[in-house]
Amino acid sequence: MAVVVIDGLSKQYATGGDFAVRDVSLTVADGEFVVLLGPSGCGKSTVLRMVAGLEPISAGTVSIDGRVMNQIPAKDRDIAMVFQSYALYPHMTVYNNLAFGLRRRGVVRAEIDRRVRRVAGMIGLVPYLDRKPHALSGGQRQRVALGRAIVREPKVFLFDEPLSNLDAALRVSTRNELIKQQHALATTTIYVTHDQVEAMTMGDRICIMNQGEMVQIGAPLEVYRAPADTFVARFLGNPPMNLLRTILTQAAEPALELDGMRLALTGWSAAALAPLIGKPVILGIRPEDLYETPAEVASGPPHLVDVEVEAVELLGAETLLLLALAGARQELIARVGRSTGLKVGARTRIALDSGALHLFDPATNKAIPRTA
Amino acid sequence: MRPWFDYIRRTPLLLFLLGYTVLTGGPFLWVASMSLRTTAEIFADPYALPGHLHWEKFADAWMQSNYSTYFWNSTIAVGSAVAIVTVVGAMTAHCLARYQFRARRIVRFVILSGLVLPPQMLILSLFQILLDYHLYDTLPGLALVYVASQLGMTVYLLEGFFAQIPQDLFDAARMDGYSDFEIFWRITLPIGVPAIFTTVILNFVTLWNEFLYAVVLMTDDDKRTLPLGIMHFMGSHQLDVGMLATGLMIAIIPIALIYALFSETMIRGMSAGAVR
Amino acid sequence: MPPALDTRRPGDRNAASRQRATDGWRPPIATLALFLAPAILVYVGFTAYPVVRTFYNSVHLVGPNGAAEFVGTGNFSTALFADPVFWTAVRNTAIFTVVGTTVDVFGGLLLALCLFIKVPFTRSLRVIWFLPVLMSYVVVGIIWVWIYDYEWGVVNLLLRAIGLGTLAHSWLGSPDTALWAVMATHLWKWLGFNMIVFLAALHALPAEVLGAAELDNCGWLAKLVYIIIPMLRPTLVNLMVLSFVGKMMIFDLVWIMTQGGPLWATETVSTYVYKRAFDWNTFDLGYPSAVAVLWFLIIIAFVVVMSLLLRQRDRLEF
Repeated sequence: MAVVVIDGLSKQYATGGDFAVRDVSLTVADGEFVVLLGPSGCGKSTVLRMVAGLEPISAGTVSIDGRVMNQIPAKDRDIAMVFQSYALYPHMTVYNNLAFGLRRRGVVRAEIDRRVRRVAGMIGLVPYLDRKPHALSGGQRQRVALGRAIVREPKVFLFDEPLSNLDAALRVSTRNELIKQQHALATTTIYVTHDQVEAMTMGDRICIMNQGEMVQIGAPLEVYRAPADTFVARFLGNPPMNLLRTILTQAAEPALELDGMRLALTGWSAAALAPLIGKPVILGIRPEDLYETPAEVASGPPHLVDVEVEAVELLGAETLLLLALAGARQELIARVGRSTGLKVGARTRIALDSGALHLFDPATNKAIPRTA
Repeated sequence: MRPWFDYIRRTPLLLFLLGYTVLTGGPFLWVASMSLRTTAEIFADPYALPGHLHWEKFADAWMQSNYSTYFWNSTIAVGSAVAIVTVVGAMTAHCLARYQFRARRIVRFVILSGLVLPPQMLILSLFQILLDYHLYDTLPGLALVYVASQLGMTVYLLEGFFAQIPQDLFDAARMDGYSDFEIFWRITLPIGVPAIFTTVILNFVTLWNEFLYAVVLMTDDDKRTLPLGIMHFMGSHQLDVGMLATGLMIAIIPIALIYALFSETMIRGMSAGAVR
Repeated sequence: MPPALDTRRPGDRNAASRQRATDGWRPPIATLALFLAPAILVYVGFTAYPVVRTFYNSVHLVGPNGAAEFVGTGNFSTALFADPVFWTAVRNTAIFTVVGTTVDVFGGLLLALCLFIKVPFTRSLRVIWFLPVLMSYVVVGIIWVWIYDYEWGVVNLLLRAIGLGTLAHSWLGSPDTALWAVMATHLWKWLGFNMIVFLAALHALPAEVLGAAELDNCGWLAKLVYIIIPMLRPTLVNLMVLSFVGKMMIFDLVWIMTQGGPLWATETVSTYVYKRAFDWNTFDLGYPSAVAVLWFLIIIAFVVVMSLLLRQRDRLEF
């Protein structure tokens, strides 16, 4: 059982100074894989280091299995960490890198040997046990770093952007390796990254952070489909969600006025929309929810919008269209199939999937949730 | 905020730090204090602070005990040596860093081997050589010897720095039609100012304090450099502790001033090359 | 215009074969000469030639006015087999070097560690502790002659003040203590240098590796022994060699403090060379040259052996 509870965690580097991390609270269930996702400098690594004990905590608590860890030194927290730069001991062989922590804990030599060889076998390091880190490739070093964490059999794994230093192909295979290992070991894991693909594929839940604060937490698809604010909406998804400025009007029913066109809104209660009638709202729609023909629209009834094609990016498996609204003051990106006939300069109508619209309040940037 | 027991645990360490600091800085403060007291006062109470600040002792040392001569000799010999070795060293370093030619390795090895040569291998022969060329007991002779002794270190430091200047700058200059010497003058030198500055300071400090070559190659009292002058004074006026202290301060102050202004440069420059 | 056919051969210096301006630029000899001539001249005149002449002297008896008489290996055999003072000097220098280097290097490491763990005033301490390194040997020597003075020197005064007056010595005047006293002063001057270098090297250690060590249950002692010192090994070796060579050639401090006395107790090879050349009843530059050559070869041999033994077999990349 290893439940990690982070409660109100904050970090200030100088009293009265800026908060690197502000009031982060999150509970990681036993065996769960939680990803901390966010742009550089958002504080995710700092949170991880505070959980590890490598960074002193300014406020709040970290508890593992109910025991508060704030004053407990890193080595006594029963945590293993995999660093972005792998942090292997350069003067030791792979075997010794794996064995070092166990030796320092007084584990018997026979047991050390058993564990090291078992883990080496698990992650394919057996041929390299006698090599030193400088004789290994990036991917191999990564695996040694992982092995060093696994061999400790800790309660919690902490990963600090472990795949950032690998090239693209290696990243994919190592990612799958990591997922496999984590499932096999079922150890509670906190994983920090700035790469949304890693977050979406690896996490049981993802926690998005921005400027030191936690913005949203939930299962990957949940966060993807229902972003809590414009930051999350634009952070997840590639190409990012289109955000358009519109005005909310109400005639018989609420509708958005975009560029002279009226888009009827369904799925929001009148009460939710009432305070914003007549005011600007932000309309969010993902590129994949824009279609060339109304027939293709997936869920709700299609809205048709006049656009002019500004650029066509043929990517092989799909095509990205950069579109300008007929009033030519806002732009959209649409993701359409590979066999589009559209060319630059063409004027056409694009179908919006009205069931996939998002609304955000421009004053707070927060999402206005659907109710129906 | 550290818990209070952390401070207690650190007390032995803090005491040690304090002790070592006193050990390191104490002697200098003591000499400074003695330099402003008369010898009689010092023998009465060696470690007291000066009751009356005898600034006139500096004037006395300067004028009566020949310290002014020693000081100017040092300035001339060291100043000219530093100037020459900087120019020569920069030219050599530029050549070694930027150009590829067959003899490059040999030249580099040869110049840098000067770094590991013990002075004893040189002093006796230099004594003979300077005598033969009538440069013995002359400041120019000493200055030339100084240039040779510091050349290796200067080239070593400057070459490392010059080699890091991006090649693009030189390519652009060449395409603009600059000659080799102009490139050296207009690109390497201006960009290399920080490194050159460091070597100037290091060379100055090393040569200002230099003793062995001076002791072998100079004999006349009015040719002596400052370290020699002080030693000579020590030999003949061993008991005049007060005057000696003043003389020592005259030697210390230029270095202390440079250090106060450029401590980071000096620290980094002197340890460069030893850190791997 | 480059020729249509590439007929360049290495060494071709005509205009057609000149490469574009890269680091492979081969400048005309005149340019090279301009840049290198001054250095080469100085080097040849004041370094290379003197070395050659020292070797020449070492196999001659060199009297006044340059009169040279060939003696072959005579000087060397005298030094090695018939000169007890030489061997005393060697012994003194050896003790000085071995003990001095060890204390110097490890003391420097100790001081650097003290500053590395972020005590208050680290920056000021660093500046103060480096100060003796910059001072002339004359300044250092004279101050410490005063500090070691039997009557009013600090050392003896402190000993008497705490009741250990019987331990008060004439530190530089007594053959038993003179060498150690000079060594202490030398260390006082140089510890700051090693400290600075180690401090820089410590700061260059990757923080994440030290963090990993903490997670691997290392207290500060374990971190030091298993991680920090092994990773500092190149710097350690470097400093040991530097310190070793410097102490093997020690002259200034000894000359200023004791001139090799009392009774040869602090005589080093360098001071002996000087004395035989300039302070001896017979004038002969040959014999001291031979001693210098002999010592030079011994130093080189030691440096080579030390480097081979201590150097890192594989690269320590990080």
